[in-house]
Amino acid sequence: MRNGSKVKVTVFHCINVFSEGDSRLAAKGENVELKFVRLPCSSLVKDVFLLRAFEAGADAVVVLVCPEGACRYVEGNLRAKKRVQWVRSLLDEIGMDGNRLALFNLPPGDSSDAKPIIQKVLAQIGTTPQAELSDRPPAGQA
Amino acid sequence: MTMESTSRLQKILSSGEFAVTAECGPPRGVDPEIIRKKGELLKGCVDAVNVTDNQTAIVRMSSIAACAHLVDMGLEPVMQMVTRDRNRIALQSDIMGAYSLGIKNILCLTGDHQTFGSQPDALNVFDIDSMNLVRTVKTMREEGRDMSGFELKGSPKMFIGAAANPFADPFEYRIIRLAKKIDAGADFIQTQCVYNLDRFKQWMKMAVDEGLTEKVHILAGVTPMKSAGMARYMAKRVAGMDVPENLIQRMGGVAKEKAPEEGLKICLETIAELREMEGVHGIHLMAIEWEEVVGEIVAGAGLMPRP
Amino acid sequence: MIVAEQKPMAEIKELVAPYKKVLILGCGTCVKTCFAGGEDEVAVMASALRLAFKVDGKEIHVEEQTVERQCEDEFIQESAPAIARNEAVLSLACGAGVQAMARRFKSTPLLPGVNTTFIGVLEKPGLFTEECSGCGDCKLAVFGGICPFTRCAKKLLNGPCGGSQNGKCEVSAETDCAWHLIIERLTALGQMDNLRTYIPPKNWRASLAAGPRRLFREDHVI
Ligand code: SF4
Ligand code: SF4
Repeated sequence: MRNGSKVKVTVFHCINVFSEGDSRLAAKGENVELKFVRLPCSSLVKDVFLLRAFEAGADAVVVLVCPEGACRYVEGNLRAKKRVQWVRSLLDEIGMDGNRLALFNLPPGDSSDAKPIIQKVLAQIGTTPQAELSDRPPAGQA
Repeated sequence: MTMESTSRLQKILSSGEFAVTAECGPPRGVDPEIIRKKGELLKGCVDAVNVTDNQTAIVRMSSIAACAHLVDMGLEPVMQMVTRDRNRIALQSDIMGAYSLGIKNILCLTGDHQTFGSQPDALNVFDIDSMNLVRTVKTMREEGRDMSGFELKGSPKMFIGAAANPFADPFEYRIIRLAKKIDAGADFIQTQCVYNLDRFKQWMKMAVDEGLTEKVHILAGVTPMKSAGMARYMAKRVAGMDVPENLIQRMGGVAKEKAPEEGLKICLETIAELREMEGVHGIHLMAIEWEEVVGEIVAGAGLMPRP
Repeated sequence: MIVAEQKPMAEIKELVAPYKKVLILGCGTCVKTCFAGGEDEVAVMASALRLAFKVDGKEIHVEEQTVERQCEDEFIQESAPAIARNEAVLSLACGAGVQAMARRFKSTPLLPGVNTTFIGVLEKPGLFTEECSGCGDCKLAVFGGICPFTRCAKKLLNGPCGGSQNGKCEVSAETDCAWHLIIERLTALGQMDNLRTYIPPKNWRASLAAGPRRLFREDHVI
């Protein structure tokens, strides 16, 4: 299994939420590999980027955006939300649990604020790396 | 109105008599006994029996066949014909066929949309609209020609009806449409069920003012309600139906087993009002799957005996 | 424009299942505008298919390409090399595009990836509506610019049916009653006479009813 069966999480975040991600965020000893993708505005998170993150091996993808009503570009985070919803349904359709993708609103701060969110996502998807997914029944039927 | 057709309904209406017709839905099956039973219930208390054509887009025995069974019993049918399922070729052919079987009245309709019916996957036709169906029958009757102009060997002398819904929108346009149907050749008009008498009165007044009631016989649609549930359902779910809140309240205000009685009472009150209205030349009773009550209503309304 | 909608993934998966190498071919005209088959949608489809096959433990090789217009031979020629590298084409163009491809590439299986739905407009963001059914004998002038053949569920020519209520069609509460719109518009235009005029049955001969149509422009032939 890849990377010693590490669970990989890709975090897309708006630089207005925090500017630099800290990959040591996941508590030490946890079997998690974090990857951050900086976006000038969350609206730039196109559907194909989200899918490609999964293709690149992510077990979960998290999109962090400003609180609703606080987007610097007015509705960027709303667009991001709609797109995340659409990709979630697409993931469900192709048999990858849509819950592997989630969007959260976060007030500006530093990346440590994202820690509880990442923990929550990990708890939800379990810690099954994607590589083992094909051995499982498609999500939704499980 | 010409005297071209040979229907009894027409004779009654022309004589100034207040006409009574009732609706009869063919069965979802092949048994003619069902039609005969309904016919038996209606015999003697109505002037003509109106037979639906795959009503609400649910597949049933054909209107023509059911009408023919009624003719055999000595009843006079009004054949409904919708443009939903047949193109102009089939429509004209069926009109001639129906007339050859002794069917002398036709009610030209567009029909309920198939998506409401039992087979929503069906393709619809709508080759011509009901207005053009009216005109087609009229041309066949009066000029003895089909739509291509071909001279027919004998023409269907049918009494032509069309529908009108005073309760649909846009209200002002409803009278223009009525006038168009009369121009196209409608001899009689059957309206949507009347519950909202105020709106109906308003519509009738407009028809009278436009001089339309001089040119056409208007038969007001009447449907007795069986329950408060039915009243609510019609108000909410049936397109183009207008059941005022006070009637729903009235139906709901009595004990469940008393509801049919209340429904009949409302029905008789409505008929009494309709008879007083200028331009209303008769009623059309739509007691759907409740045909046994028709005799009671007609008698209760003081419309017996029939001519 | 021609409006189309992507087929459900389950159906697409089934269509491409027999092949190991598939070219996903988009079209940069109508289907791009309605977000069904432009470059972006091709990219998403490619990624989604790869993931879907991975989930099933299968392999697929997909190649992406988008041509300017798939319904024009001149533009589809450029896909020839990519087609040669693949076993089948999943086309995200409208039905005309798929068939134009079938004409040119005689031995390549062509799979439709979208359902071509109608000729329509973008009424407001995210909402496309059907406006014309290409009847071949346009009568919009009589109806104030609103087509009852297309937008009235019963193709009525002489006014609204009895089910029109509050401006909505009886068939769907989400759809405007075409006749309501026609009346509004003719009233605004002061063309009330058109409402009173009897409109004869439509001549369907100019439409698909008489079989597939062709348009020949002599002046464009040398
Ligand atoms: S009349 Fe015919 S060509 Fe004109 S909009 Fe309607 S369907 Fe299209
Ligand atoms: S409600 Fe309007 S659009 Fe719908 S079928 Fe009736 S007339 Fe046509």
